[in-house]
Formats: sequence, structure tokens, C-alpha cells
Amino acid sequence: MAQVMMKDLNKKYDEVHAVKDVNLHIRDKEFVVLVGPSGCGKSTTLRMVAGLEEITSGEITIGDRIVNDLPPKDRDIAMVFQNYALYPHMTVYDNMAFGLKMRKFPKPEIQKRVQDAAEILGIQELLKRKPRQLSGGQRQRVAVGRAIVRHPQVFLFDEPLSNLDAKLRVQMRVELKRLHDRLETTAVYVTHDQVEAMTLGDRVVVMKDGWIQQVGEPLDLYSRPANKFVAGFIGSPAMNFIDVSLSDAGGLWAEGQGLRVKVAPAHATRLSAYKGQKVTLGLRPEDLRVASGGDPAEYTIDAVVDVVEPLGSEILLDLRAGQTTLVARVEPAVRAKVHETIKFALVPDRARFFDTKTELAI
Amino acid sequence: MAPAGALVLGILAYPVAWEIWASLTDFSSRAEGGPVFVGLANYGRLLGDTWFWKALATTLGYLAVTTTAKLVLGVGMALLLARPSRLRALVFLAVFLPWAYPGGITVIAWYWMLNPPLITSYSVFMGNVKHAVDGVLGAGAWAFLSVMLFNVWRGGSFTAVFLLAGLNAIPTELFEYARLESRSAWQRFRAVTLPLLAPYMALAVFLSFTTAFADLGNVWMLTGGRIIFPVVGTYAYWLAVKSGQLAEAATWTLALVPLLALGLVVLFRWFDPHEETPA
Repeated sequence: MAQVMMKDLNKKYDEVHAVKDVNLHIRDKEFVVLVGPSGCGKSTTLRMVAGLEEITSGEITIGDRIVNDLPPKDRDIAMVFQNYALYPHMTVYDNMAFGLKMRKFPKPEIQKRVQDAAEILGIQELLKRKPRQLSGGQRQRVAVGRAIVRHPQVFLFDEPLSNLDAKLRVQMRVELKRLHDRLETTAVYVTHDQVEAMTLGDRVVVMKDGWIQQVGEPLDLYSRPANKFVAGFIGSPAMNFIDVSLSDAGGLWAEGQGLRVKVAPAHATRLSAYKGQKVTLGLRPEDLRVASGGDPAEYTIDAVVDVVEPLGSEILLDLRAGQTTLVARVEPAVRAKVHETIKFALVPDRARFFDTKTELAI
Repeated sequence: MAPAGALVLGILAYPVAWEIWASLTDFSSRAEGGPVFVGLANYGRLLGDTWFWKALATTLGYLAVTTTAKLVLGVGMALLLARPSRLRALVFLAVFLPWAYPGGITVIAWYWMLNPPLITSYSVFMGNVKHAVDGVLGAGAWAFLSVMLFNVWRGGSFTAVFLLAGLNAIPTELFEYARLESRSAWQRFRAVTLPLLAPYMALAVFLSFTTAFADLGNVWMLTGGRIIFPVVGTYAYWLAVKSGQLAEAATWTLALVPLLALGLVVLFRWFDPHEETPA
């Protein structure tokens, strides 16, 4: 068990500055997920922790040791790769025992650890098989088992579920979470899938272009995104963004792209400094609902239905409103027809505002 | 099926069948009249021929030494070439050059390296080396050694490039995982690199085998056809083309078939060792 600290961490390749001034404190027993689009530096960061990439500048601490100059084998970490990295010429048992054999553990100890891990993962039956005789999900389990037997201080996961089909991915996600609850080993997990990040992480680190955008608990990121990128990246379908300008006309109003809504009093004080300026209004699809007679007119938007996507548990509506497009997530009972004009009510307190220039949350 | 069958029959079965038939006759371009069937007489004579056993031993020694040397050199060079480096393209070119050039030119380069056309202290030195080697191992030893070295020099580069392609085909994560888990580079090499590379090595050895058997041109060019240390293939050629003893020549080459077949079976097992055991 150990904490992981990254201090002013940088990685530069010849022309690319892949990781920029990353500062992150991962606590003991914590499950932290690094998430972001491809090329955001999340995998490079993880590989620097593992020791597979050299650190250009900065410092990484695992437990109480600075590991910058330690070779990977001495860092007391275990890593799970996206394509599992199982050895085709070895049985499942030998694959799982590999790290322990290399470290010259006594045979009975190896046997015990492999058996224990196989039991936890339900793969006792597979120990004599070769990887090519396993399904994707089984290989994934072996790869995790290989990490478990090492009893490392930190688990590193590099997109371990990305090669699985959607259904299996959901199942393995739950299993990984259960496993972490049981083993309580510090874990750093890299993914490009925000749903995986939100469901697995005690805390989530959102990265883009090598910079950390925000670090926080999943629901924090969702309800209080630090900037427009995080707001758009977390949540599916993505947040709607509308460029508006703020004007004072009996309270603060946001107006632009053919739409006009009132700013909730809860936001008005913070936004008053932006009066007369351009800001970006963010509305989550789930915060738009079909208006009823009782909804105040200043918090409604008229929109034409473009596409109806019935998902069963909910319906997604692609809408045209003014000169912009919006997505709304509504109850499955709503009967919307294409080309129909519907009045939507927004949840005024949940509207988000971003500085259009800096893209930071206001 | 049919075109493939015709191809195999035409280019493979027919000449082999002709050769087998020839080995069972007294076929010779110098004899009067047509070939006469003599049964296994040629084989009987071959087995009693000390010259044949000497040639066989030479051939096997030649194969074993050159193949081992090429494999060791090839693996080493491939591993070095697989490392990222700015000079990689240049080194790659240097390694590949002896193999990429036409045989004739490479042979001359090699010949002049061992036997320079100008009198210098180096050429005198090489002359002394030749005499020393021949003095210890018998006349013709230096020529034979030079053929072996040439084969290793030229074939080693091919093996290296071939194995480099093999290394590049193995997912990098397999090596990265080994870096995370193993204690030394040697451990990594034995437990991971070698087994993963084994199928490619088997293929490389197979190619080395076949080219060594068929390696007539280089031997010819280097030795000028003077045979002191006989190699089975070259001697068979000598028998057939120079002396017209076609039946004997056919017998000589066919005598190698069991050995080649055995080698191929072993290599194939090595090449594809992952036999599924039903679980």
C-alpha cells in the first residue's frame, strides 16, 4: 500500500511536449482514473510511473521513495496492458507466475499466490491452458491475476478494458471495482472512456494536450466542471453549449443564437461582472425537459425536433433552437414527432457559464 | 487445386522422379548405349565409399558451424538494430549490404580481403595465416575456412534482417512487461525474447540449411572448383557436369534426402510448437 506523488512532471519527445507540469497526489488505497482524448498524455504519465518512459523533468514518488532513477522492476508496481501482454508460449499458470519466478520466489509460495489469485478471479479451471485458447474476457482476467499475485504497492492499468466488447466491458468494470474494494491496493487507471472513469474512480483526473484540466470526485466533475472542456467531456450525451451575451433587463438575461433565457438568481451575482460581454452557456441534455403550463416563461426554450432517438429507458431528442442545435434527454413517455415544435423548460440553477475566451467556468 | 497440382508435379515431382530413376541405373554421358537398370548398386557403392563419408562429414560440419554462427550473430545484430537510435538506418544499411549485393561482387570483395591483389604487409600477413592454417589442418583448410567465413559474413546479415522483422512483429508490450518483471537483461532474453523469436529462428535456420545445400556458386567462385574438402552438393555437381557420371551424381544428392527431411521435421516442430492440448 502506498501513495503516489507526481511533482512538476514533464515529458518531452523531440517535437512533442506530451506531459506538462503534472502535479498529482494519489492517496494510499485510492483508485484514481486518468481520462482524456487520445494524445492527452494520460498513458505517457502512467508509463512514467511504471518506469517504461524516462522522465524529462519533475519527480515521482511511490510510497516514500523517489523512483525517478529506479528501474521498473524495483518500483513495486504491477501493470495491466490493453492487449493483456500474455506470453503465447506459456500456460496461464506460467504467465501468472512469471513475475514471481523472475524474482526467485520459492515454488510453494508461487503456487499459493497463483491459486489464490485464480480463485479470486474464477479462473482455476484455466491454469493449464495457453492464452490462445482463452476468450477475451478470460485473457483479461489472467492479465489482472498476473498483477494480483505480485502483491504490489500500486496497480497500474493502461486501458485494460478497451479490447473487450461492450457487454463484457461493463461486467469487467464491476469486477475491477469489487476487486479494488477487496484488495484495497492503490490503483492508477488510464482510459479514454468517461463512463469507465466515472464508475471506477474514487477521483478522476481529466487531461487534455498534456495538461491536467481538473481533478475531482466523479460527481464533482459532473456538477462543477472547471472549464468548458471538462463540461463537454464528462457526461453523455455531451453538454450543450450556446454563445450568449449578458444584458440587464429586469434581472440578468442571456441572449444569443436566437435564444433568450433568464439567468437564475443563484448565478446572477457571479455573472454581473460579465454584463455586456460574451459568455458560453452550458446546458446538460438531462436538464432540459418538456415544459408544462406551470413553468415560468423566462426559463423556457422553443425548439423544433430534428431526430428522435428512443433508447428505451429514455429518449434523446436532437433539436433546432434559434440558430443552434441542442440535445435533450427526456422521459420515455414523451411522444415527440419530427418537425414538431416543443417548449422545453431548463433547470435554471444547473445552467453553467463559461468565459468564452478562457473557457474557464464562471 | 488443379493448377497448383500441375505446378507441383511439373517443377518438383518430375525432376525428383527423374533423379530417383537415374540413381537406379548406370546412366552416364560417356557410356555407349542407353542407361541400364542396376537396382540399388549405386547406393551400395556409395555407402562403401570413404570419400562420400568424408564429404558428408564436411557438409554436416559446414552446416552446423555456419548455421550456429549465423544464428548467434543474427540474433545479436537484430537485438542491437531493434534499439531505437539515430544511426539505425545507417547501421541497417551496413548490415544488409553484404547480402544485398550480387554474389559475384561480394565474393570478389571477400576474396580480396583474404588475398589482396597488391603486395602490402597485409597481404603478406594473410599469406602467412593461410600457410599456418593449412599447416595445422591440412592443405585446403584455409580455402574451406574462407568459404565458411564468407557464408557466415553474408548469411549472418540476412539472418539479422530476417530476425529483426520477427522482433518487430512481436507486440512491444510483451517486452515491456518483461522489463517490469525481470531482474536482468539476460533473464529477459532467456525467458521471453528467445522463445518468442524461436519460430523466426527456425525459419532462418531452415533458409540457412537450404541455401547452404544449394550454395554452389559461392563455393565455386571462391575455390575455383578445386575440391580438397568435398561438400556433397558441390561434389555431385562435379560428378554430373564435369565427369558425366549422372547416376552417381543422382545417388550422391539423394543420399542427403533423409537428413534434410529429418532436419525439416525438427525445425517444423520448433517453428510451431504450440500444439493445442484439449483442456
